[in-house]
This record gives sequence, structure tokens and C-alpha cells, in this order.
Amino acid sequence: MFIDGAGSKDRRRFLKQVLALAGVSFAGRYVTGCADASDGRVIPGDIVGAGSSIGHMIRDGRAIPALTEEIRTGILIIGGGISGLSAARWLHKKGTENVMMVEMGEETGGNSVFGQNKVSAYPWAAHYLPIPDVANTSLIEFLGEIGVITGFVDGVPIYNEYHLCHDPEERLYIDGYWQEGLVPKFGITREDEAQIARFMKQAEDYRAAKGVDGKYAFSIPLDTSSADEQFRKLDQISFRQFLTENGYNAKPLLWYLEYCCKDDYGAGLDSTSAWAGLHYFASRRGKATNANSSAVLTWPEGNGFLMQALRKHNPYPVRTGLAAFNIENTENGVHVDCYDAGRKSTVRIVAEKVLMCTPQNVNKYLLKSVGSERGIYEHVQYAPWVVANITCTGVPEGKGTALCWDNVVYGRQSVGYVFANHQNLVRKNEGVLTWYLPFTEGAPKEARKAIYSKTIEDWKKLVVEDLAYAHPGIEPLITRIDVKVWGHGMIQPVPGYVWGNARSEAMQAIDGRIFFAHSDLSGISIFEEAFSQGVRAAEEVLRT
Amino acid sequence: MVNGAGDGTPVHEKKQGQGLLLFSVFVIATCGLIYELVAGTMASYLLGDSVTQFSTVIGVYLFSMGIGSWLSGQVEGDLLKWFIRIEILVGLVGGCSAPSMFLLFEHVTYFRIVLYSFVVLTGILVGLEIPILMRILKSGIEFKDLVARVFTFDYIGALLASLIFPLLLVPYLGLIRTSLVFGIFNIAVAAYLLYYFEETLRYRRRLLVPILASVFALLAGFVYAERIMSYSETLAFQDKVIYSKSTHYQRMVLTRNNRELKLFLNGNLQFSSLDEYRYHEALVHPGLHALKGSKKVLVLGGGDGLAVREVLRYPDVASVTLVDLDPAMTQLFRSNEMLLELNNRSLLSPKVRVVNDDAFNWVRRDTMRFDFIIIDFPDPSNYSLGKLYSSKFYEELQHVLSDSGIIVVQATSPLIARKSYWCVGHTMEAAGFVIVPYHIYVPSFGEWGYIMGMRNFGWHTGAQLPRGLRFVDKDVMKSMLLFPPDMSEVATEVNKLNNQALVNYFEDEWAPYVH
Ligand SMILES: Cc1cc2nc3c(=O)[nH]c(=O)nc-3n(C[C@H](O)[C@H](O)[C@H](O)COP(=O)(O)OP(=O)(O)OC[C@H]3O[C@@H](n4cnc5c(N)ncnc54)[C@H](O)[C@@H]3O)c2cc1C
Repeated sequence: MFIDGAGSKDRRRFLKQVLALAGVSFAGRYVTGCADASDGRVIPGDIVGAGSSIGHMIRDGRAIPALTEEIRTGILIIGGGISGLSAARWLHKKGTENVMMVEMGEETGGNSVFGQNKVSAYPWAAHYLPIPDVANTSLIEFLGEIGVITGFVDGVPIYNEYHLCHDPEERLYIDGYWQEGLVPKFGITREDEAQIARFMKQAEDYRAAKGVDGKYAFSIPLDTSSADEQFRKLDQISFRQFLTENGYNAKPLLWYLEYCCKDDYGAGLDSTSAWAGLHYFASRRGKATNANSSAVLTWPEGNGFLMQALRKHNPYPVRTGLAAFNIENTENGVHVDCYDAGRKSTVRIVAEKVLMCTPQNVNKYLLKSVGSERGIYEHVQYAPWVVANITCTGVPEGKGTALCWDNVVYGRQSVGYVFANHQNLVRKNEGVLTWYLPFTEGAPKEARKAIYSKTIEDWKKLVVEDLAYAHPGIEPLITRIDVKVWGHGMIQPVPGYVWGNARSEAMQAIDGRIFFAHSDLSGISIFEEAFSQGVRAAEEVLRT
Repeated sequence: MVNGAGDGTPVHEKKQGQGLLLFSVFVIATCGLIYELVAGTMASYLLGDSVTQFSTVIGVYLFSMGIGSWLSGQVEGDLLKWFIRIEILVGLVGGCSAPSMFLLFEHVTYFRIVLYSFVVLTGILVGLEIPILMRILKSGIEFKDLVARVFTFDYIGALLASLIFPLLLVPYLGLIRTSLVFGIFNIAVAAYLLYYFEETLRYRRRLLVPILASVFALLAGFVYAERIMSYSETLAFQDKVIYSKSTHYQRMVLTRNNRELKLFLNGNLQFSSLDEYRYHEALVHPGLHALKGSKKVLVLGGGDGLAVREVLRYPDVASVTLVDLDPAMTQLFRSNEMLLELNNRSLLSPKVRVVNDDAFNWVRRDTMRFDFIIIDFPDPSNYSLGKLYSSKFYEELQHVLSDSGIIVVQATSPLIARKSYWCVGHTMEAAGFVIVPYHIYVPSFGEWGYIMGMRNFGWHTGAQLPRGLRFVDKDVMKSMLLFPPDMSEVATEVNKLNNQALVNYFEDEWAPYVH
């Protein structure tokens, strides 16, 4: 119970204030905490899953190890990310046999892998899924299969409340204060406010807008969007140009929009097309009986939850640690040569059909000998990402709104951190923060070079500095920092990419034998796209 | 260059010396007012009734300054030396005032004596400062300018202090560190004057020792401020603290006076031995007495064993499972003699199984069915507790409740937190329970509410109550069901994991009482 005996209330309140003000939480530990930090303590941690070495081997076509094994299969899926796993699920649903999968990593999952320690599970990249549009039937069906949707009322899904993001959801650190929600509202001018409202209204209009073909202007999967030129032409200009032309110049608004592009696309306002930028705001028409339309689904392990559900239901054999490096389209099948990292040998898989669920920057090298004319390669541009998982004793609160699931700091390069334990029903006095840093400025290639040359100590320093900006004194509470570097983290929806010809051509199968699915073929890197890419490609495989 | 006063000191140097002294006026005025504010704040929080405390502290402080001013008349000899000595003393006394009061609060019976001793002492010393300083300065400046300047700086310092104290110091440093920092400022003034004026050469060394020692002491206090604070946490309680422990989950404090024993968790009162029987009888008997036959009981929270004590009054209770997060809590109530007497050794009964686990997870995992489930969690004052009042949690309870079973939830005060109370009820309804809301009066808490839930309405007050109850009887049970208009049902949202409606209601409704 809560109340004190009469009289002691004041005292308790006083104590609460003094303790809260001076200390106990991060702000105050700062001073005494320094003693710990200056012990010269090195925070433990590693760069995990480091190794673009296989990738480089593929790219450079280095000395090819001896062929030791040959396998025959009907259908080979290369790549066990969401698109590959989704394709496998679909093939299985349709009763397809004689399918196998190869995955270069130690485990399947791709950008939806996760980690786990004593304190919590935590994502290594993808971490949430907004509740989908009911029109996205294949995804809705999948969510029903795995218990994320538990039923329907008049066709509107009931979501499992353990999976809906618990309240409080988001907060923004601005002007030394954590406000609720991510749209800046603390300490902004009237004019800023008016522009934000105007933009939201415009996005709302776009959300309802339909083209002459009767389709919504913006939809997910994006290929179901209207083909109406009046909307598609927005893909020719950058989001920034669109904003300028529409008279948006309020700093907090531009910050917020750039933050959204960074967060979802790993791109800035210049490297996001206006179409893609608006898509973020205008495509979500999710519905639920027990949540509002902007609700998101999340788990401590992030989309690792969805990935594992797909993985568990995949009945086909999977060979992990096997990286395809060359594909040959011969008379007696497609030859896929894979490097077996464990045995340092080559495995040849001879398949009737191959489903390439790998990114185009990899396909470029795999398909060298096939001699196809896919023109996509000059058009793809990937944003590098760095993700850190920070384990700490104590959780970072601060002034204002209590710790949320998503915690963003105004005006920083990083897009903040997610509290991985948020969905746990028990609040421990320990936590894991998943921190995200996209590289959206300058040439991605240069950024990659710089990123790969950094050591774990460099990253730790960067992470701690960034966190300490909003949480001074957090350092002594950190017990571990692990880092993962995604050199080609996300496809950027640069102007002209989404509705250019190269993308649609690249989805075409080669010779009725080699098929393609990957989120980069959509141009925006989200679960829904990867999932539907897998379904589409699997359908094509079955049709031919 | 023109020579100034007859002593041969160049004018600009003299001016600089005076500027420095005037700057000291400014610093010491700031410090002086800060000490006064620290004492006033401290007194009003520790002793309550802030108007009285603030005005008496200010009155006594000003009066003491008057004594100081009067005493300054007795001071003769090397004024600068006196001034430096006084600065060191002010720094030390004023600087240590907050931490000392914190530490002494729980140990001394007459805390007011300590408080006013500090106020008087600091006041006298501060009262000495300005008159002596003016006497030092008077050799260089004309009297009317002197008065004008000194008081200007004095009042500017006071303004500064009164602004930064509430806006910066209390929020960012806290009281303890504020008082320590300003102590250091006073001593810094002493040190700088000592260093700047050549006439101090003779006694520089002698005064350096106390300066360094004081600075060191204040700095040490600064570093240990946090420890002082957690140590003095017990000052939050009016009674003698007889036990306190920080566990992995919470801070437990037991206090006693000659009438009662009290348990606080994280500073919140859990029970007073004087009237806990009211709370626990009302929690248990209305529901449990109505169930027939051999019963399996589940208690969630309530690691003090007091609800279990009431449960064990029924001989036909076959087993009791108590799930409480904190092993330290259940251990304490299984071992401490005084507490064993209070809970009637309930947790040692062979019928009772104690599980230390989080209730939400435990309920989700458990497959047993219970006839009576008591939910006695702390109030939903934060988001993690809010989850234990969510529709999802009550749905999980459905799985461990027997067909004709009853659950009862402690549901905060329907009077003070009316929306919160009914929100709990509506949430239980949303999870498929038929509810029976009721409330009683517990002196330590005020009007307090509970809500029973069952699958189909089947509750009645007709059955036999166990003997020896001090509060609950048939008529009382009937009266518990009546809700006067100021507590009657209001529309609320359902508390869900993804809206945490209850925590928001609770925060709003209790805010006037906590802030
Ligand atoms: C930092 C970050 C955060 C993200 N956050 C979110 C989010 O919150 N929500 C969201 O919906 N999406 C998010 N995403 C997007 C995420 O990429 C997609 O949701 C999805 O996981 C992409 O799946 P995919 O199958 O298209 O690609 P990938 O995950 O890239 O899958 C490709 C697979 O192919 C394998 N592979 C590559 N080359 C070879 C080879 N030669 N041989 C064998 N196997 C090979 C790879 O190892 C990988 O497993 C995030 C991405 C990043 C980088």
C-alpha cells in the first residue's frame, strides 16, 4: 500500500525529493560514480559476428578451395534472412518437396538475428513491426499462425497484448528533458508547431489518397501502391526537395522527418526520395480491436521473435556456414558452389531452381558467370549501421517521462536506444539497451571503410559518450558493451530507385530457373517487404 | 603615476584590493543566504509545517546575525586576520550544516536543538563578516560610498542565492552538496585573501593548515554525500528504525514506537501493527468464508504472512501457496520473533508453501487450480507494477482459478483514487470476472478498497465466519458494500499492457498527496 501514517508523509516526500534530486538515479551518481570509472576499469565487450571475410572472398574471387561434396536438390534457397525463410514457409504451405537452404552465417536470420544474456534477449538489428494493414492478408495470416493475432472481431484482428508494445512507448530528450512521444513539442515555437501540424495533416491526406487505378497512393507491400503518375513522380525528387517546395523549414520538423528516414531507411532527407519519405507516414493503415492504428509489435529479442517463428516452421534442411560464391546455369541444372567455412572446402549444390534471397550487392558477384544483364547493381546503395547492446545495472531514467521502449535524443547522429527488457513482465534493476547508429552522411563506401577500421574500444567510447549526453554518469553502471557492424545494413530508397525500371527488372527470374527475393528489391528495408518478397518469389517458382 | 594614500601603495593596487574585498562581500552574501535557505528547507521538510519552520529559521538567523554584528564591535586588532578566520569558520560550520543535520536527525531526541544551534552559530558568524569587512575597507573609501557599495553587493549576492537555490542547486546538487559547495566557497575567499594581501605573510602558514583541513573535510563530505543520504534515509521515519535492509528488489524498513510496529517498503507504509487486522481481515474473510469445502488458496504478494494468518483460521484450507518476489521479505517474516508473533508463525505452517518468484511469470507457468486467490500487490505507482493490474494478468488468473473460485484484489483507495479503484474493477470485468467491490476504513491508510472477482455471481455473506475476528462480522460485511456518492462507480478505461491507464490515473489522483 501507499500512504504513510499521518505526519510522516512530509518527511517521506522530502526524502523522495532529496534522493531523487541529488542522486540515486544517474544524474547524481555522476559525481561519486566517477570514482568507479577512473579505476581504469575497461568495460568488457566484443565486436560480434565480425567477418566480412567471406564476403570479401566472394567479391575478390580468391583461391577456390577444393570441391569435396556435391548435393542435388529441387529448389535451393540461398540466404536465410526473412525473405528466404518466408519463401521456405510459402513453398512448404504449398506442399513443395525437395527444397533446401544455405546460409552463410552461423545461423539463419540475417538482419533479424538477436542475442541473449543473463539480463535479457536483445535484437541485433530489426526490432519491431507496426501492426499491418488488414489488406496485407499473407502477413495477417502468418501473425495468426504464430499467435500474435489471437482472433478477429468483424475482420479486425485482436492482437496478443504481450506482443503489443507496452506503455510507455516513446520519449524524446530535448532541452534537457524527456518528453513523451517523438514529435518535438518541448520548447518549440508556435510556427514550428504549426508546420508540424500542417505536415501531419498532409501526410494524413496522402494516407487516404487513391490513384486513378483505385489503389491507395502508399501501401505496404509497396508494390501494391497505386501506379498513378501523380504519386510516382514523387520518387524522382528527394524528400528534402519536396519539403522545401512545400514550404517546410521548421528545424524541429526537419529534424523529426530526418530522424524517421534514418530510423527506417538508414537514409537522410537527401538520400530518401520524396515518395519513400511520405510512404513512411502515409502507408500505415493497421487496425486492431485492442490497440490504436499506430501500435507496434515488439519483443525483447526484436524481430528475432518473428524470425524464430519462421525458422521453427521451416521443415527443409538448412546448411548454415555455407556461403554461395559462384553460380553456373548449365544444361543439367543450376550449379551453386558454396564455400564451407568450417571445412574450408567447396560444396556444389546442383538445383533445378534457385531462389536467391541475398542482397543485390552479393548477387552481383554470384551471378558473374551467368552473364545476365541485370542493371540493378549501379542503383543499389546501402547504409552502414552500427548496433550496440549495452548491459547495465540500473536503468536510465532522467528528468521527465519514465524510461520507454524507444528513447531518442534530439539532434544526435544516433537514433537513440531501445530498452530491450521493455516487454518483460518483471522489471529488474538491470537492463539491456540496444543502441542504433546509422551512417547516412557522405558516401557509404567511405563510411564502411572507416567503420571497419574501428576497434571495439573506439566503439565503446563512442557509445558511452553518446549515452552520457542524455544520461550523465551512466558509464559506471555499464557492465558490458557488444557491438555489431552492418556494412550493408539497409538499402536506401534514393530518388529514382523505388519506381525506376532497374528494380522491377531485377525481380524478373533468369531463364525460369533463378529467382530473386530480398528487401532491397523493394527499396525499403522492413520486415513486411522482406516477407512479401519471399512469398512473391516462391509463387513465381511454383508457377514456372 | 600619481601616488595615492600616504602609505605609498600605488592607487591601482589599492583599488584592486578593494575590488577584491567587495567581491568577497558578494560571495559571502550569497553563501550566507544559502545557509539560511538550506536550514529553512531542511526544517520545513523534516519537521513539517513549512510556514512556521521557515519563518522561525529566518527570524532566528537574522537575530543571530544581529548578535554577530554586535560582537563585531568587540573585535580589535588585525581585522584582516579576524576576517579570514571567520571565513574559515563560516565555511566549515555552514558547509557542514546540511550533512550534519541529516546524520543527526535520527539520533537526537531534540532535533530542534541541533537545528537552531546551527542556525544561531551560522547566523552569528555571518553577522560578523560584513561589519568587519566594512571596517577593513573604510580606510580606502569614503563612508557614503562604502556603505553604498557594500550593501549593493550584499543584496546582489542575496538575490543570486535566492534564485539559484531553487532553480539550480536543489535540483542538481541536492541540499547536502549545496551546503558543502558553499562552505568551500567561503573558505576559498579566506584562502584568496590570505594569498593576496601581503600583510598576512606572518600568519599565512598557521592559517593554511585549518584551511586545507576544512577544504579536505568538505570535499570528503561531497564525495560521500550519497552515502550520507542513504544512511540518513531512515530519517524519513518518525519512529525508531529497528531494522532496515536493501534487498535486490526493495528497501525494507521496520520501525517501532511504544504502540506499534510498522513496515515500510521503499518508504511506503505496508502496515501498522495497530490496525493491520482491519486491512487483512477485510482482505481475506468476505471471500474465503463464502467458499465451501476443502480449499486451495493462493496469495500473490503479501510476503509478510499476515493475509496467510487470516487464511489459516479456516481448518478446511488444505494448502496455501504464497508467491512473493523477495526472498529477504519472506525470510524476515519467518525468522524475526516480533514478526512471528504478529503473523502467528503463519509462514512456518506445514500447509504453507512459499515461492519466491515474480507473480506474473509464476501464474503464466502454473497449472494448478486454486479456489481462492488473494492479490495483495503494492499500489500501481509505476509501470512495472501497473502490469500486475492489467487485463492480461487477470486473464492469466482465470487459468489458475477453479470454476467456483473467488479472487480478491487490493485496489487502492476509492476515496482518494476513485478512478484508479474503479479502473481495477473494470479491468477485472474486461477479463471476464463478475465483480463485487467493497471498502473499509483503516486508520493508517484511510478509506481502502478491495474488489472480489468470480466467474458467475455466487457470493453471499451467509456462511460461518471463523471465531476470534476483531473487525469483520456479518453486518460489517454488508456495510462494506455501500459506496457513498463520493466513491461510487465512475467510467474508466480498461488497464492494458499497451495503455497502462491505471498508472496514469493513479499518478494523477495521488499527486496532490505526494508532491
Ligand atoms: C540496424 C537495422 C535495424 C533494422 N530494424 C528494423 C526494424 O525495426 N523493423 C523492420 O521491419 N526491419 C528492420 N530492419 C530491416 C531488416 O533488414 C528487414 O526487416 C529484414 O530482416 C530483411 O530481410 P531480408 O531477407 O530481406 O535480408 P537479410 O536479412 O539481409 O537476409 C539475407 C541473408 O542472406 C545471407 N547471405 C548473404 N550472402 C550469402 C551467400 N553468399 N551465401 C549464403 N547466404 C548469404 C545473409 O547472411 C542473410 O542471412 C533493420 C535493419 C537493420 C540493418
